[in-house]
Amino acid sequence: MKLKDKVAIVTGASGGIGKAIAMHLVAAGAAVVCNYCTNRQKAEAVVQAAREAGGSAVSMQGDVRSFAEMETMTASVVAQFGRIDILVNNAGITRDELLLSMSDKDWRDVIETNLYGAFNSTKAVAQQMMFQKKGRIINISSVAGERGGRGQTNYAASKGGLNAFTRAAAIELAPKNITVNAVAPGVIETEMSQEVMRRAKETVMNHIPLKRLGTCDEVASLVVFLASDDAAYITGQIIRVDGGFRG
Amino acid sequence: MIDEKEIFEKVRESIVEALGVDEEDVMPSASLFEDLGAESLDLLDIAFRIEKTFGIKIPRSGIQQDILAAEGIKEEDVLIDGAFTALGAQKLRERMPEIDKDRIYAGFRVDDIPTLFTVQTFVNIVKQVLLEKAGAH
Repeated sequence: MKLKDKVAIVTGASGGIGKAIAMHLVAAGAAVVCNYCTNRQKAEAVVQAAREAGGSAVSMQGDVRSFAEMETMTASVVAQFGRIDILVNNAGITRDELLLSMSDKDWRDVIETNLYGAFNSTKAVAQQMMFQKKGRIINISSVAGERGGRGQTNYAASKGGLNAFTRAAAIELAPKNITVNAVAPGVIETEMSQEVMRRAKETVMNHIPLKRLGTCDEVASLVVFLASDDAAYITGQIIRVDGGFRG
Repeated sequence: MIDEKEIFEKVRESIVEALGVDEEDVMPSASLFEDLGAESLDLLDIAFRIEKTFGIKIPRSGIQQDILAAEGIKEEDVLIDGAFTALGAQKLRERMPEIDKDRIYAGFRVDDIPTLFTVQTFVNIVKQVLLEKAGAH
């Protein structure tokens, strides 16, 4: 098991991709902290599934928009597990709307969760990783961060910013043996993508050479690889899992 | 109250852990950047370890902020465009007595303060914070 005895935090672990990431990390031997903001029930369901699969998992509440809460969560994880080896910044939301109709609140909420969230959790956790002289940080970005998307100026800006944050943080933290990479999923089968598919299935499929949506498991597999020692020389990269998405 | 020797030993341990240098190289006068090969992230690493060891919080506000706060001087009297004035340099020398006076001069840039840091600088910071903590109780 490539992640035996490692401790991983997955923010926003109650959603589709978050759950898959948690399950794959557990299958690889890691103890997983499933962070959630409000959806305690779903996070607990992920923990239950992980334990039934023979793994070690706990849920922990913490709003990624608050550095203080991320600091508290980090301290709790260290108190309980003694270390933090992997941070997966997965917490993210969409509030799709055309730019000219987009409210300030919808803009801010997405930027604060998707971008500030990664800043807050990374800043809180990286200190512990520095003490350990090793760490793996994986940011869950999106192809929208590079190519945009209609009705997604907020989401695309947050993920584009997350990509740039990934590259800068990788440079800064490399001397402490902490790698920082981003996984950029294309259109993945989740609750979040159902609305996109309802509105534009044919358009979407025309842009995907592999002619199907990706699965949460396919995203999670890459996360586990990047968290492992097999990826020790990979940092500052934005790796797409998108079926060749183009156009 | 912890004595200076004990403070030095614990600061040294933090520096050795953070930088991976030999203990005998960590002399009080050793410059963190020039002698021990530290970079700016290393200063943070050392600060975090020291905070954990001593149970203290080292202010991140910067020495230039301390000068302004302590003396009640207007910023333009000590700093112009990020560089210390003659008065600012004098105040900085007073704040960092462990540093060779020739290294701090009018025109010295505030961004370069970390390059002045020696092992003794951290020892002095810890002493100062512990004194303030004791004074607060």
